[in-house]
Parts: sequence; structure tokens; C-alpha cells
Amino acid sequence: MKTDFDITLDEWICVCISRQVIDGEVLAQGINTPLVMAGFILAKLTHAPRIRFASAIGQSVCDDWGPLGVGRIEEVWLSKGLFHAGFATATAELLPKYNPKEFFRPAQIDAAGNTNNIAFGRDYQRPRMRLPGTGGIPDVTPYSDHIYLYVPRHSPVTFVERVDFISGLGHRADRQRGSGPRYLVSDLGQFDWDQGQMRLISYHPHTTIEQIQRKTGFPLLIASDIHATPAPTPDEIRLLREVIDPLDVRKLETLSGSARKDLLRSILEREHAL
Amino acid sequence: MTHWIDLKSSADCIQDGMTIAIGGMTLYRRPVAWTQALLRRASRPRDLTLLAFTAGYECDLLVGAGVIRTIRSCYFGLEAFGLAPMFTHKAAHGELRILEETETSLVLGLRAAISGVPFMPSQAWIGTDLPRLRPDVQTVTDPYTGQTLTAFPAIPVDVAVIHALAADSAGNVLINTNLGIDPELVYAADRVIVTVERVVEKLEKSVDGLLIPGAGVDMIAIAPNGAAPTSCYPDYPLRGSILLDYIEACNRGDFEKYLIDFLDEPR
Repeated sequence: MKTDFDITLDEWICVCISRQVIDGEVLAQGINTPLVMAGFILAKLTHAPRIRFASAIGQSVCDDWGPLGVGRIEEVWLSKGLFHAGFATATAELLPKYNPKEFFRPAQIDAAGNTNNIAFGRDYQRPRMRLPGTGGIPDVTPYSDHIYLYVPRHSPVTFVERVDFISGLGHRADRQRGSGPRYLVSDLGQFDWDQGQMRLISYHPHTTIEQIQRKTGFPLLIASDIHATPAPTPDEIRLLREVIDPLDVRKLETLSGSARKDLLRSILEREHAL
Repeated sequence: MTHWIDLKSSADCIQDGMTIAIGGMTLYRRPVAWTQALLRRASRPRDLTLLAFTAGYECDLLVGAGVIRTIRSCYFGLEAFGLAPMFTHKAAHGELRILEETETSLVLGLRAAISGVPFMPSQAWIGTDLPRLRPDVQTVTDPYTGQTLTAFPAIPVDVAVIHALAADSAGNVLINTNLGIDPELVYAADRVIVTVERVVEKLEKSVDGLLIPGAGVDMIAIAPNGAAPTSCYPDYPLRGSILLDYIEACNRGDFEKYLIDFLDEPR
């Protein structure tokens, strides 16, 4: 399809996340996951006006939202919260009650949807690279049946034959409860799981099935009705760029190196938080 | 009884081997001035256990300065700014003992400590590698259904340090609504140190904040601007350039120089 605007990688991800949202549900807004925040707000402004947010910042439930930020994002969630539970109550009571849909960002994932956010390298005492940690992923993945995932930069570093540590529990026959991840979106395509194996269901038009397979460290199942991901509408793109995220915070997840550093500095400057 | 105390004296009560809990969240309302006071001590404490639900800039300074032996946190990083450089470096070189924690293990561990029971049962971790990484965490069998549950052990806390907006003359303290686990730290810790932006005659109830009764606060020290460069909403936002400069200094291998400058900074 010919469009008169260039859709960027971050926008493919945001729009796919938005389309996974069902009106009326509660969605968990994590910390430093702007692609997810933008996608959820896009859903609220298009097909899902009655969704609510459970925000990690401020540990609240919010009906309202504000534009994305870095240095001022705390202000959004503290001013919109209906009440503020604190993280202990949020973890032990709020999450079990509302069972919010959340998109986690794995550092590694295998074909069964087991994920790792602990470290790269199997030697726990001296890993190749220590990662920040797992938050609540090992807590909810053993019982949840609606785990969703996103990967901003699809590569064989993330999609691996075997994860170094299992911090998120995938599709396993011996699990007591829950189901393993339902859905994954990357900058290349959308995936689900078929009998416990990751399956490509759509490819973004800027790539091909072969390219996606080459960038995935295990054989992918291919859905029988595989198709190009439906393009974002002009209205979705306008909302993302002008209303939800005029500062381009979402792009911090897809950029790297000096381009990312420059963007971060410019966002903070415009927020008066440098 | 609340003791009004200067920042330096509040840091002097930390002894070798203690578990200290740092209040606030990632880059929000962290007790940075107190961290500075602790590291300014002529004789720095050793082998501390650092407990922080989420650990950020001030925790990375403590790790870099070498006073921390053990980490208990479910996230150690600087959010959009990137990895926490000294934690990342030392963890990869085997120089830290990491007790792998998650939201649930920290919350239920603190709740067990508060309630005076040895553990709290949970569905968390089952099937993941977390039990292998934490062999001290055992499972129990539910006596009613036979289901296997994780038994998160109580987490003892010697000292909690929390930064607040204000204290009043009765020793009551006001924090903003980005609570983190600060209320639980007040319940769980043997001693609670609060640093405050300012002192007022009497604090009023507020929908934008939480009052912590003076009965749970052991020491109050005045520390204006005490959370910077992390935020103290609504007084000030985070100071991004300081966080960026810190990361760059560490990446150049200049942590020691950064620390000297940090300790020299007036507040």
C-alpha cells in the first residue's frame, strides 16, 4: 500500500500494541516502556475509550493519560491517579484483583516463550552482562494466561535457541497454571504461539518472512494465513506524532548510540528537566 | 520519640554488615543527600546489604564506593538513561553478592518481617530459574490442596532511609504519592531515618501525599534539595544532565573522580 508518510519502526510497534487492546480492560503501564505507553493511549483514543491504566509510577489506577515524557513523566501519573496504593499493595493486591494486560520486553526469548531479563551468559556469578533485573516477571508468568511481549529490535541476540536464565515462564507442559505468552510484536512482525511454539502471523511490509527467520535464532512456525501487517492509518500516525508523543519519547526504544543520546538530551531540554 | 538530628550524625549510626533500605522509586525521591553524608564519613561502613525495591543513581554510588556487599532489588538501573554503570560492572566481575529478587519476593519478605512470621506463601517463581538462583528460598505444600508454593522468607531491615517533602514539629512526615514501598519500610525497619526538604509547624492531611506518623520515625534530618538529581515531586523534577554526566564519567572509567566531586558538592 502506498502512503504519503513514512511509518517508522516504533510506529509499527505502537500501532500493533494498540490493536491488541480490548475496550474496558485494565492495562499495566510499566516504567520506561514508552512504546507500550504510546500504544495503550492510542487504543484509548481510537477503539478502546474505556480502558484504564495501572501505573507503576505512582502505583495507581488512572482513567486519564498525558503525553509521554522522561523528566516529567512522574507528574503525569501522580496527577492522574484515582488513588495511590504503594508498590506493596500494588504487587500483592492490585495486580491479582485487576489482572492487567502488560507488555514485557524480554532481553532473550526462546521458541517456547521462556524469557530472560537477568543476565547474558550462563555463569550467574560472572555473567557476560548483568541486566537490571526482572521486576515482577517471574511472579506473574507462572500463573497468568495473558502475557504479551514486545521486542523493539529483532535480532538473534534476543531470539535464541536457549535462554541463559528462565525468568519468565513460557509454554510448558508441566506448568501448574497459566499459559505462556499469547502474543509478541517486534519491529519486523507479529507472532503468537501454536501448541507451545512461536509462530509468525504477520510481517511488516518493510521486511520479508525470510529476513525475519534469518534474524531469529530458532525455526519459526509460519501461520497458514501469513500476511503483511495491516498498515497504520493516517489518523493513528497523526495521534502518535502530534497528540500522544510529540517529544518522540517512544523512539528511545528503537534508537541506539549517539542518535539515542541526542534524542534523550533534546527531550529533557524541552521538558526543562536537563 | 523522634530525634532531630543533623545529616552527618544520621549517617554515623550505620554499622558494618547492616541491611539498609533506601526509600523512593528508581529516579524519584531518593535520599541522595543522605548517601553523600554516608560516603563522606572518615571511616566508611563495610559489607552492607542494600535493599531497594528499585535501585538507581544513589544506590549505584554506594556500590561504586565499595560499601555494599549484597544487593536485594528487583530492578537496578537508570530507566531511560540506561544501565546503572557501577552495578553492571561489578556484577559482571563477581564483586557483588546478588540475592535475585522480584516484586513479590521483596513485598512478601517485608510483609513477613512486619507480621512476625517466618515466610509468606505465593504462586510466584514456580517453574522459573529463580528458585535455582536463590537456593535459600524453599517451597511449602499447601495443607489444603497439596499445591506447591514458594515460601518467601522474612527480610530483616536494620535501617530504612526515606526522603520526604516535609516534617512538622511533632515529627510527622509528608511524602508524595509515588510511595514505592516506603510505608512498609517504616513498619519493617528497626530504625527509620527521614530526610526532609523543610520543616513546618503543623502538617495537614493531603490528597497529594501520605502522612507518616511521627511514632514510626526515629530520626529526622533536614536536607533541602536532598533528592537531587532525582526528583522530589512537586518541588523539583529530576536533573537529567547530572545523570547523563554520571554515566559518561563511569564509562570513561572516572568513577573515583566523579565520587570525589560528588562528595565535595555543597547542598
